[in-house]
Amino acid sequence: AVAAAAPRRLFGALCLLRLPRITQPMRREEEEVAALMGQIELEKSRYSDHELRKLEEEEQLRRRRESGYDDDEGPGQTVIMAQDLEDKWEQKLQRFRAAPRVTDADKNNIRTSLERKLDSNLMLLVKQKIGDQELWLLPQAEWQPGETLRSTAERALAASLGDRIQAKFLGNAPYGHYKYKFPRAIRTEDNMGAKVFFFKAFLQSNDLSQAELKEDFLWVTKDELGDYLKSEYLKKVNRFLLD
Amino acid sequence: ARAQPKKKKKVDVKREQAQKERMKKKIRKLEKAASEMIPIEDFMTPPKYLESKRVRSLPPLSSEEIERRVLLMKKWSLYKQKQDEAEKKAIQTLVASQQAALKELRLESEELYQAAIKRDEGLFPFERDGPNYTPPLPDYDPPEGKCTDITKVYTQ
Repeated sequence: AVAAAAPRRLFGALCLLRLPRITQPMRREEEEVAALMGQIELEKSRYSDHELRKLEEEEQLRRRRESGYDDDEGPGQTVIMAQDLEDKWEQKLQRFRAAPRVTDADKNNIRTSLERKLDSNLMLLVKQKIGDQELWLLPQAEWQPGETLRSTAERALAASLGDRIQAKFLGNAPYGHYKYKFPRAIRTEDNMGAKVFFFKAFLQSNDLSQAELKEDFLWVTKDELGDYLKSEYLKKVNRFLLD
Repeated sequence: ARAQPKKKKKVDVKREQAQKERMKKKIRKLEKAASEMIPIEDFMTPPKYLESKRVRSLPPLSSEEIERRVLLMKKWSLYKQKQDEAEKKAIQTLVASQQAALKELRLESEELYQAAIKRDEGLFPFERDGPNYTPPLPDYDPPEGKCTDITKVYTQ
């Protein structure tokens, strides 16, 4: 028989990525070079007006101290020095508290939260029943005749997160595929196995309060995928993940 | 009495024509003269920053420092080369994975394949806000202020 033409069931799966919200920390080499570039820029620069004013005032103070406070400041003459301005600016900076880069979800390793690992991509994993096994995999839906595979992936998204979630799909073409044969017990003439085609999408909406969560789900980074996915499936998925 | 109005018409017409030609000549001369280039303000250092009092006084670099810098730059070029190679390899695997998926799809169904290789009109223009250093503060009220734009606009 023509093995290549043996029909398989088609599935469209979706790799939904939450893009990073903060920058990654610099590596050691990057930090060293950044410091060096700052140093070179300082050496090549000229004094600014503020720095000149600061130097002049320091000169004045020094001269006044050496001459023993001969010419005291006039009555009630309060002069704002450049150094005072700098101190004021420094205090204002200290009073500002930015949001922390390491969130509570990070500390407690809450893998269902979108606030974890803000500096890397997070992928959606759901638990689905395949045959008689409950497996963790990328959300997938079976292809119905009459729709394109991308619409199947969109249906998979709606099935796991609801209609209200916005995602930007990256093109009509699949990014990867995974094919497997059914175990002999279920295999028939028409159903040799299945092929899953993966599509990529970026999550647009920021919070998931609008989501209707229907299945067990997790948001994981590329490194943590190995904890949940089977090895063959993981190999195919890793090929189209850039991180 | 009859001859005069005729003269006026001719002379007027001639004078008007001569005037028009003179204007056209002037316009042509102006156009021929090369138009002034718009100056790029970033490339011109204002003279007040070239004064000698502005020169920074720092101690000269020691030979160890110079050597450290040269070695650091060499390490950096190697690091960047490795990073670039890794990126290019990742992109190649991604493209290969996509090509393989399209091949498999073609084996399954020609119709789905044709739908998959169609151009996605809604993809571009693609916009994304880049990552910042810290995540946004939930109830932050930025201080008010006024910004006056003093950039010079040149017209040719």
